[in-house]
Amino acid sequence: MVDAARHPNIELLTYTEVQRVEGFIGNFKVLVEQKPRYVIADRCNGCGDCAPVCPIEVPNEFEEGIAPRKAIYIPHSQAVPLVYTIDLDNCIECYKCVDACGKLDAIDFSQQPKQTWLDVGSVVVATGFDSFDPTPLKEYGYGRYDNVITTLELERINNSAGPTAGRIVRPSDGEMPNSVSFVQCVGSRDERFNIYCSGFCCMYTIKNALQWKQTHPDADVTIFYMDIRTPAKGYEEFYRRAREMGIRFIQGRPSWITQDEQTGNLFIQAEDQSLGQVIELETEMVVLSTAAVPREDTDEMGSVLNISRSPSGFFMEYHPKLRPVDSPTDGVFLAGAAQGPKDIPASVAQGAGAAARAARILSSDTWEIEPIVAHVWEDRCVMAQGKKCGICATKCPYNAIFTEADKAALVTAAKCHGCGGCVAECPHNAITQMHFTDAQIFAQLHALLAKEPEKKILAFMCHWCSYGGADTAGTSHFEYPASSRGIRVMCSARMDMDFIYEAFRLGAGVVLVSGCHPQDCHYITGQQVGAERFERLAERLGKMGISPERFRVEWISAAEGGKYAQVIREMDETLKSIDPQALKEENERVRPALDRRLRRLPEVPDVSRALELELVVVE
Amino acid sequence: MAMLLSKQLDPAFKDEVMAEPGGEHLLRCYSCGTCMATCLVRRVNSEFNPRRTLRMVMLGMREQVFSNPTIWLCSACDACYPRCPQDIHISELMGAIKNIAMREGYEPPGPVAQVDELACAGCGMCVMACPYEALTLVTKEVEGQEDRVSQVNKYLCMNCGVCAAVCPLSAVHVEEYSNEDVLVRMQAGGWLTDKDRFPPDQPRVLVFNCNWCTRTESDWAALSQFPPNVRIVTIPCSGRVDPQFILLALTEGVDGVLLIGCDPGQCHYKQGNFVAQGKMHLFKHTLGQMGIDPARVRFAQTGFDQRGRLPALIEQMVEDVKEQVLVGAAAS
Repeated sequence: MVDAARHPNIELLTYTEVQRVEGFIGNFKVLVEQKPRYVIADRCNGCGDCAPVCPIEVPNEFEEGIAPRKAIYIPHSQAVPLVYTIDLDNCIECYKCVDACGKLDAIDFSQQPKQTWLDVGSVVVATGFDSFDPTPLKEYGYGRYDNVITTLELERINNSAGPTAGRIVRPSDGEMPNSVSFVQCVGSRDERFNIYCSGFCCMYTIKNALQWKQTHPDADVTIFYMDIRTPAKGYEEFYRRAREMGIRFIQGRPSWITQDEQTGNLFIQAEDQSLGQVIELETEMVVLSTAAVPREDTDEMGSVLNISRSPSGFFMEYHPKLRPVDSPTDGVFLAGAAQGPKDIPASVAQGAGAAARAARILSSDTWEIEPIVAHVWEDRCVMAQGKKCGICATKCPYNAIFTEADKAALVTAAKCHGCGGCVAECPHNAITQMHFTDAQIFAQLHALLAKEPEKKILAFMCHWCSYGGADTAGTSHFEYPASSRGIRVMCSARMDMDFIYEAFRLGAGVVLVSGCHPQDCHYITGQQVGAERFERLAERLGKMGISPERFRVEWISAAEGGKYAQVIREMDETLKSIDPQALKEENERVRPALDRRLRRLPEVPDVSRALELELVVVE
Repeated sequence: MAMLLSKQLDPAFKDEVMAEPGGEHLLRCYSCGTCMATCLVRRVNSEFNPRRTLRMVMLGMREQVFSNPTIWLCSACDACYPRCPQDIHISELMGAIKNIAMREGYEPPGPVAQVDELACAGCGMCVMACPYEALTLVTKEVEGQEDRVSQVNKYLCMNCGVCAAVCPLSAVHVEEYSNEDVLVRMQAGGWLTDKDRFPPDQPRVLVFNCNWCTRTESDWAALSQFPPNVRIVTIPCSGRVDPQFILLALTEGVDGVLLIGCDPGQCHYKQGNFVAQGKMHLFKHTLGQMGIDPARVRFAQTGFDQRGRLPALIEQMVEDVKEQVLVGAAAS
């Protein structure tokens, strides 16, 4: 941190919040607000004369609340920059610090928040994680029993710069405990709280246990665990060392902890699975290895930066395997535990990766993007004709569309990721998506349904999930009937109602629209745009007189090859169960309604005309 | 122990259990042992282990699961369910296993409550009190006569004895804890009837202690430390106590009676403590009307995390009773 602060090309903005992010890759504008410290940074030399005279003491956040700090404080002794801050919520403005500061005259109560717009090329998000609060796990008694503490609290007690100067004491009586137990997986691998494994708790617990054992060889150290996870380089060897040092490892998750009122000792009850027997272990202190959880303000941060969250709540990466450092928004990168729980080596690696990815942008004059962006036909956009619309802008997951009265909607190509949601949603067909134009998809529809359409299953698949699912079905040899015909688009958001109308107009037997599971969407909210539309569509199809079983919506991930095959098999059975004659009659019956719906499109049914129109755009 | 051979396993068994209502989440279990560490049934049967049972189902040890009498022992107290990190409703899963076993003709080893059909008047008190809906009123022929009597479903009955305690005609018999058994335990060594054995500073206190709310071994050990003027009778559930036991004790000059049940929501038999609570409330009111000091009878509850509370409750009762007795002796 000190090195970073001294680096000529690095400007540290501490005590500062990001409030708004505008622009796009290479051209971001970031509004930051520097909060007032009420201490002039250039004058404060960190001598520390002010803090001792301050009469206010509040819990020290850095020390997990187990030590006090003053109302004028530095967060911790190695803080960079070494500048004091006044916590005005607690300050009583007695001005004793002003007197103590004396000639330096660094204290200035008139400071105001300062907002600044910064021009930046790329953004790295490294906001870290929070530690799970184990209070809801009533059976472990955290908050009720003094001697049940969390690992972070132990870290502070164990730290030579901490409140006890590194002397391990237990909270109830301030004595050094001779026995300690660690409980693993508190709040993680738990359906009730977080189902993921936090990953690094096994290692830090072994570290703490080893440290304890090294300084107090006679101490009785026990670790209760479900599984010990030590997969990285050198980790298993470390675990082995801990076992050889005499640390007791008990495989079995404790069911409850009770306290002896007189001694303050704790009794842990768990099944020792190796024995198949329940044991009750008396220990003087219990340390809970709490899960790493997303920071409280992840949602807020996510909406400022326009990046989404994974089902676990951490920020989602662009691709879990191939682009683990990139966020879904180009030019914004993720590092460390903000993207998911990880230990120090992994955080350092990801941080270095994010810096390198960010530097690529800074060192380029031009930037290539995917060519599949949306394009507005200005002559068709009703906004340009002075009418109210702007639907496209509300559906865009990337805020890539800008609308203004009396002007055609404007797509910022650098922000567009090509989900096609706006294209499908535009009620006037004024937007198209390059390489996924309406005409191209209609052409595919016509080709696929040219022969015996009523015997076909027409499946719309999104590029990232269900198409991958179909692919997995193929590579895994999950058989499904040959009656299905697939059309790939980038996202379920691109699946225009008109495509499905046209499919039924051409006489398709059954139609499947499929995409990612809600929280897996590659385009942040694209799946939701699609899902809302399909609900409306199902209703409309029903009103037209199309049997509900002929239209199906399924969310299939790229890993669910079996599910894809199963869905197609089921649909094939549905199709076979419908009398072909009745199907044809139904199609004839609804055709006028479908014709009416599609008549407004200049592309339909004349594909060649549509292609002609598209060519104009492409040129 | 014999080796487990894969060819003896039935891989479809887990699917069968999962298809049964309650069995859905079986495969989530990763054998952490939290359920086993919570469960108290191990005290009555050391073979009982829900974790191992689930494991056996997952492996397909069909015969071994069904022929194991412990599968019938889960009383659905649901102490383990809120602790299970995989959110598996273990008692419902055990229920699913029991349902299949029942259909296949396996029978629970018992014991279960027995109704003396000649004595039963068909009043239905037991039907209302039973936490397991194991009792129903049926019309059947008893000794040549059509009669309406209570009938026990042996698959549902957990032998908690709540029915026996509410039966006004003592027509329900619970093995090991019948009225006679309880009275014998109260009287053993002439404790109940020998009024002059203890001096006034050692008042006679009768404690009915629920088998399940004593959750730690050290508390169990503490129970044997009390002097002979304190008589501790362990019962399966606080709901098993018939107010007549207490009346009898008071008639015999016992100075105080303490009934200990589980904390609300922690009853081993779903709601036996709730039945006891209602009953004791009414009973104390009646005692007042009879001219007996209701303070001589106390209903107290203790739970999971209250280490040392059980002996403390008894000590407190003895102290309070002693004070009353001494004050009474001084007044007379």
